[in-house]
Amino acid sequence: MTKDALLATLPREALAIRRKFLGMHFEARAGHLGSGLSDIDLLTYLYGAWLRPSDHFILSKGHGASSLYATLHHFQRLTDLELASYYKDDTLLPAHPAPNGVSAIPAATGSLGHGLPIATGMAYSFKNLHQTDARLACLLSDGECNEGSTWEAALFAGHHKLDNLTVVIDANGIQGFGRTEEVLTLEPFAKKWEAFGFAVSECNGHDFPAIHQVLSQPPNGRPRCLIARTVKGKGVKFMEDKVEWHYWPMTEAHYRDALTELDQAESELSR
Amino acid sequence: MRVDFVKAVDAVLAEDARALFITGDLGFNALEGVAAKYGKRFINAGVAEQSMMGLASGTALTGMRPWVYSIAPFATYRCLEQIRNDACLHNLPVRIAGNGGGYTYGIMGSTHHALEDLAVLKVLPNMQLFFPCANDHVAAAVALMAQLAGPSYIRLAVSAFNTERAVVAEHPSTLTRVYAQRHDRGKPGVTVIGAGHGVQIALRALSAHGLDRENVDVFGVARFPFRLHEDSALLGSVQETKNVVFVEEHYAAGGMGESMKLALPPLQSFVLMSASYTPEQRYGSAAFHMQQSNLTPEALMAAVRANLARP
Repeated sequence: MTKDALLATLPREALAIRRKFLGMHFEARAGHLGSGLSDIDLLTYLYGAWLRPSDHFILSKGHGASSLYATLHHFQRLTDLELASYYKDDTLLPAHPAPNGVSAIPAATGSLGHGLPIATGMAYSFKNLHQTDARLACLLSDGECNEGSTWEAALFAGHHKLDNLTVVIDANGIQGFGRTEEVLTLEPFAKKWEAFGFAVSECNGHDFPAIHQVLSQPPNGRPRCLIARTVKGKGVKFMEDKVEWHYWPMTEAHYRDALTELDQAESELSR
Repeated sequence: MRVDFVKAVDAVLAEDARALFITGDLGFNALEGVAAKYGKRFINAGVAEQSMMGLASGTALTGMRPWVYSIAPFATYRCLEQIRNDACLHNLPVRIAGNGGGYTYGIMGSTHHALEDLAVLKVLPNMQLFFPCANDHVAAAVALMAQLAGPSYIRLAVSAFNTERAVVAEHPSTLTRVYAQRHDRGKPGVTVIGAGHGVQIALRALSAHGLDRENVDVFGVARFPFRLHEDSALLGSVQETKNVVFVEEHYAAGGMGESMKLALPPLQSFVLMSASYTPEQRYGSAAFHMQQSNLTPEALMAAVRANLARP
């Protein structure tokens, strides 16, 4: 399949993952809906088009676990049985990724600011100690960039010119108790990452050709950072850009309305 | 102990291509040789302990076995969550070295003292603790740590009462040392147990305060979780004397003494000598702080004699 043809399939893949994700959350009566919908297009691109078998992915925003589970299942990296256990007693798929749980997820996360240091250590190790061409992608939330350890690792990655490391930031502009610009301003966000030694790009985090344009660039001697401007709750209008959908589970009516929106999106794709 | 540690880890790095050394910007006049010798297997992570512990775990996830070095409080408290989440929960071979256990850094002040390091680490899943009794005890601890598949911590320290003393016996896996044995096992006796370099107080008491004339066994323990089922000499002593004086350069709460008391069979008495804190604390050398905490050979002698004098 050509790259263009592959990119053309991704919106449909993302819709299927959103459908799976909503079903999981409805059945589990679980929150964190907005965060997952925010990053599903990024995960779809990474797993559908970017990650090679030798590459690794670290979900630093551990509260996006269910969207990762749905994506891994969609791309045959989790079994039906595993996915069916999500959020239930005796599962290896809790609301934040578990340590030593499933082979597709190397590191437990959930406390913010841990994923980038881990990914940075792996990137250093693959590049300088194992001398392989393995690449690391690490998905952060924008709120997570309040954490000092994120910037400690950024300093390290910049200093060691870890060009096998790609940081993707799901910049939906909302964190736990408010908008990022009201809680602790991050802007000028791109300049901050540039100042730490990263090759930085920004794009619409739901636009597959735009994401591809950035992440298909060859390494240029620096770690890379994509600030993906996203909408929290993307794909379900009544959840979009709302703090409360970080927390709320869906009622049956919510679920029905959300699926109706996905059906509409799907028929638009077919047109 | 720092010199002995660097020498021992150098040997591990020379033998194991998967081993690497990560420092939190410490090691002036100590790590230059290792830095020069191991190239990319030596990392100065900068003054960034949280990221240091996370990236050490990241290297371990790729199959490496990192040794992570800093001053004890910085290598533990600052990055406790990284030790817990990234190293311990994944059961990774991250080997942490904290230099300056207890009051070693004396006049540097309380930020540099490590009096809760064993307490905060001992509760973490998969974590194993090593606290050598003396400089010549470090290499054995490092060799054991190098064989572990999971996380571990070594507490490096200098005692204000450092005393040269021949070792009667050392257990190969528990590392427990016998430093003195009772003269008459038929008479009332006391089992003195020192945790790590805390045992140096007892060694000073043996050599300079007449403890060697008392009917005491003196042990130095150096590893947690304790492996008392293997430590038959220690267990036998305690079962016979039923009286223990335990000494540690660490706060009582969460310390090794507290855990030892729970692990031992029922006793007549268990006296715990440990570091103490007061809000009015003033600062000085390690010896000054030991005096302030009544962690001295004289206090140990008094505890042993009071025990033996009991009807």
